[in-house]
Formats: sequence, structure tokens, C-alpha cells
Amino acid sequence: MDAHVSASTSSPATVAVAGEDENLSGEAERLERPPRRQKQQRNNYGSNADSPDGAVLTVPSVVIRDSTARPSRLSGGGVGGGGDGAPGPSQQEIEEEQGLKYGAQHVIKLFVPVSLCMLVVVATINSISFYNSTDVYLLYTPFHELSPEPSVKLWNALANSLILMSVVVLMTILLIVLYKKRCYRVIHGWLILSSFMLLFIFTYLYLEELLRAYNIPMDYPTAVLIMWNFGVAGMMAIHWQAPLRLQQGYLIFVAALMALVFIKYLPEWTAWAVLAAISIWDLIAVLSPRGPLRILVETAQERNEQIFPALIYSSTVLYTYMGTHYTPEQPLPTTTSSPSSSNSTTTTRATQNSLASPDPGAGASSSSRSGNSRHGQRQQENNQAAAEGMPLVSFKNNLHGNAEAAGFTQEWSANLSDRVARRQIEVQTTQSGNGRRSNEYRTVTTPNQPQMEAQEERGIKLGLGDFIFYSVLVGKASSYGDWTTTIACFVAILIGLCLTLLLLAIWRKALPALPISITFGLIFCFATSAVVKPFMEKLSAKQVFI
Amino acid sequence: MDISKAPNPRKLQLCRTYLMTGFAFLPFVWAINVCWFFDEAFRKPPYPEQSQIKRYVIYSAIGTLLWLIALTTWIIIFQTNRADWGATADYMSFIIPLGSP
Repeated sequence: MDAHVSASTSSPATVAVAGEDENLSGEAERLERPPRRQKQQRNNYGSNADSPDGAVLTVPSVVIRDSTARPSRLSGGGVGGGGDGAPGPSQQEIEEEQGLKYGAQHVIKLFVPVSLCMLVVVATINSISFYNSTDVYLLYTPFHELSPEPSVKLWNALANSLILMSVVVLMTILLIVLYKKRCYRVIHGWLILSSFMLLFIFTYLYLEELLRAYNIPMDYPTAVLIMWNFGVAGMMAIHWQAPLRLQQGYLIFVAALMALVFIKYLPEWTAWAVLAAISIWDLIAVLSPRGPLRILVETAQERNEQIFPALIYSSTVLYTYMGTHYTPEQPLPTTTSSPSSSNSTTTTRATQNSLASPDPGAGASSSSRSGNSRHGQRQQENNQAAAEGMPLVSFKNNLHGNAEAAGFTQEWSANLSDRVARRQIEVQTTQSGNGRRSNEYRTVTTPNQPQMEAQEERGIKLGLGDFIFYSVLVGKASSYGDWTTTIACFVAILIGLCLTLLLLAIWRKALPALPISITFGLIFCFATSAVVKPFMEKLSAKQVFI
Repeated sequence: MDISKAPNPRKLQLCRTYLMTGFAFLPFVWAINVCWFFDEAFRKPPYPEQSQIKRYVIYSAIGTLLWLIALTTWIIIFQTNRADWGATADYMSFIIPLGSP
């Protein structure tokens, strides 16, 4: 945070200078306070990862930097804080207001893809009978529920889901170990293999069944050409660079395909049991202090990395930014957490360029006025902020991917894990961090530009695993051919998603997206099919509606 | 990714890569290239790399069109003549519709 010190003192911002004299004592207090708070928070949560988020919420803007545990930030942040001393609280309020506003927008932005994914699954289930019947089983579900006795079925379902869940846990732990040991190549290879299988093999099966269901003639050369084009474009979109819409479309399709595979190959009761078990596992893995997903997120945060873009659906361009910024340099994230490494500055510059391009004049002119060094520093800051925010989002997904992979036969499992992995909603811790930071900048240095960036970078990420299991629930409900139940499940899941996003806005840390939605979905599904549907049938039989 | 935020050399490089990739029997990639860079090539205020991007976009569009025409003709020819071609055509068929003559 040397950067910040120099910025606030040397910059023409008179506010900062004036404020400093008056607030000297206040600054001193603040300087001391942050560490204490941080400690408290660490104790509370039992981990560093949360402390930044917590700090963002409770502590005035200055302290945020301290919370990132960079030694130099303490002093720098303090001075800067003195600068904005008075406006601090009001800014915070504004921030919160903005957060709510954008939060609502993002809820809607997430509704659309989740609904689309469910729509694809429900439409497929209703039009292609192939996905409706289970004749082949996954390796992980050795009990096939063939007995008519409910007690035997229940026992089979519990055993199956237990096996599946243990596979999932194992895969998750394997992923964490790989990630901890920095075996990025292995993980990426794994992800690429799984997406390859989904995009080619499962899509081939899907295409065949689709054409057969609608009785559309096709010859092999055309089919091969279509598969080749679709698959390669998908690989490029998911693992490399492509228009955001295309990438989102592919991610939604892949999630829908995965959900269809689960619906097709899991025995009926097992599917319900797995849904319940996976949401509990999600809860544990994300929220418990030693939960594997949480460890992943923390590690990624520590390394300031964005994880496996293939596994997460993001509602904005945010992570693509990150992608562009690191691709030209090196495959590994160049921005390390150390604030003043030369590496980070260069990368930042690249990013800055891309970020600032919409209003090219602003960034360049302001920075050139006060000197290059400041410019570089500011960029660095921005980068760091962005980098810090980003990692949170991506991590959680991975865990789930593994877990889901467990459901499949061995061949599939590899593929699946990739997709599934992205699950949790990652909120934008980034957002909050960025927003605040940019605000500080605004007061101290240039007004508009940082603000814009912050806005652009807001966005919510949802793991593909969440997409998959939401769709499994709705698809399974619709496979009984009852539209009342299907729509009830759909609404219940969206309500659960809303609640999760609300909690996200309140707590500002990564949350599991499955538990609330799936619980609601299960309750609504069984309640509707057992209570509401017979009631409605009775009503219409007695012609009450007329 | 949002292409309008990328630096100009990067745009050019991406456009070029997409064009080159398209030669591997990938008209869909060309189509993506056209849609993605159309605004960059024809609607943005001029910048040095634009002329090249424009050329690549036009090439991609031509390629996509050619593929589309070729594929459509092939499908029409094949489907109209499938019954006449006999066993070979059946062998080449991915899906043979049921119930139609």
C-alpha cells in the first residue's frame, strides 16, 4: 500500500491534506484498530479467508486494505483513511445501496440462465423418451431398486447415495490435494477431458436421440461435421476465449446435458436421495471451517488466482477480464499477493488498458499528470483488488465438480467432475472490495474511472454444479408428467436462489447455493404431488372451477 | 470476453486465430468470428488494425457462406436421392426417418 500513501499525499486532492490534520488522532486510533478487529474475526471464523469479507462489512473503508494482511497496507491505508475520514460512513451507505441495486439486477441475470437450463432439461425430458427411462446404471449405483417393496427401495437408495457421496468426497479431496500441490496441469487436463467427453460423446448421444424423436433424417457426413463444429467451438469457448454469450450458452448446455445424464442413469429413489445428500454435503463443504470447498477458496484467495473458468457461470464479463489479463503474460496468475512485485505492475498495466479502453482519455491523462509511478501504483491497486475478488468466486465450484463426478461410471466421472465442480455462488467479495477501494480512490484521486471499473466488475457467479442439480430436480419432477409439480419445483428453486442471493448480500462471502433451493424444491415437489395435485383433481372433477 | 475492451493488437490476433482455426472444417468458428468482430470491423471509429480485421471478417463471412451453400446442397441431394442410391446411402445415414416413404 505504499501506492496508496503516495497517491493520497502527493496527489492534488486537497481533501486528503485537510483531513489529515484534523483527523490525526482519529487516524492513530484506526491504525491500531484494524489489526485487533482482524484478529477477532479470525477467531470467529477460524480462517483468514473470511476476514477480508468480514472486514469489508464492519470496518470503515480504510481498514479493508489492512485486512488483506499486507504489512505495508497498515500505514498506507491509515493515511488514506484520514483523507476520506468524514465522507467514509456516507460512502459506505451509498455502497450498500448500490450493492442492493446491483444485487437485484444480478438476481435477474442469474434467473435467466438457471431458467434456461431447466427449460432445456424439461423440454428434453418431455419430448425425448430416451431420457425418461433408466435401463443402464452407473457404476456407482450398484443397487438398482428393482424390488417393488418400498423398504428395499429405500435401503437401496440410501446405499447408492452413500456410495455416490463418498466418491464425491474422495474426488473433492483429490482435487484439493492437486490444487494445494499446484498440479494445475493435471487439473486442467482433467477439466478438458471431461468437457471434451460432454461436448462430443454426450452431445452425440443427445443429437441422435433428438433427431430420432423428431424423425429428422441425417447422413453421417453432416452429423460428423455438426459434431466437430459444435465440439471444437465449445472447447474454444469454455477453455479459451470466445464471446461471453457463446460461453454462457455452452456452459448452460453442458450443465443441462449433465443433468440429463443424471436423470437418465440414476434409479428413481436414488436420484432424490442424492439430491438431498449433495445439498447437505454442499453445506458442509462450504461452511464448515475445514470444509474442502472452503479450503479451496481460501487457497485460491491466498494465491490470488482465478480458478478453472470452465466450471463457473458468470453473469458478467468479470472473469473474462481476468482471463485476458493473465493470458498474454503467463498461464499462472502473475499478480501475486505481494503488493510491490514488478510482475504485478506489468500485468496490471495490461489489464488496465483493457479496462480503461472505454474512456481512453481519462485514465491516461489523469495518471500522466501526477506521474507514471502513481499511475502504475494505482493500476496495481486495481489489479490486486480485482484479483482478490476473483478467486473467491471460482473456487467453490471445483469441489462439487468432483463430487458429481462420483455419480458416473469411471469414464464419465473424469468428465463430470469438471463441469460439476463449479457450484457455489460466488459472490462478489470482489465487488464489495473493489467498490470500496474504488471509492477511496475516487475521493483521493480521479473521480470517475475507478468507479466505472467497479461497476463493470460486479457480477455473481454460480457454479455449474448448482445448475446441474437444480435441473435434475426439476427434470425429475417433470418426468412424472405432471406440470403442476414441475412448476412448483421451478418456483421453489428460484425462491431458494433468491434467498441465497439475499444471504450473500448480507454476509458477503461465498455461500452454498444448493441447500436452500434443493430443500425448498424437494418439499414443494412432494407436497405438490401428494397434496396439491389430488386436491386440484378433486376440485376439477367436482367442477369447482366452473 | 468483451471484445470491445480488449487492446487492439489482441483483437487482431484473436480474429486471425479464429480465421485460421476455421480452415479445419470449422465453418461455425468462422460464423462466430463474423458475429464477434462485425462491430469492430465496420462500426468502430478507424484504428490501425481495423483494416486487417475487416479483411479477416470478410474472409470468414465468405467461408461461412460457402460452407452453408455446400452443406445445404449436399443435404438436399442426399436426401432426395437416398432411396435411389440404395445400400450405400443407407449405410451413410445417421438417422433414417421412420414411417416416411
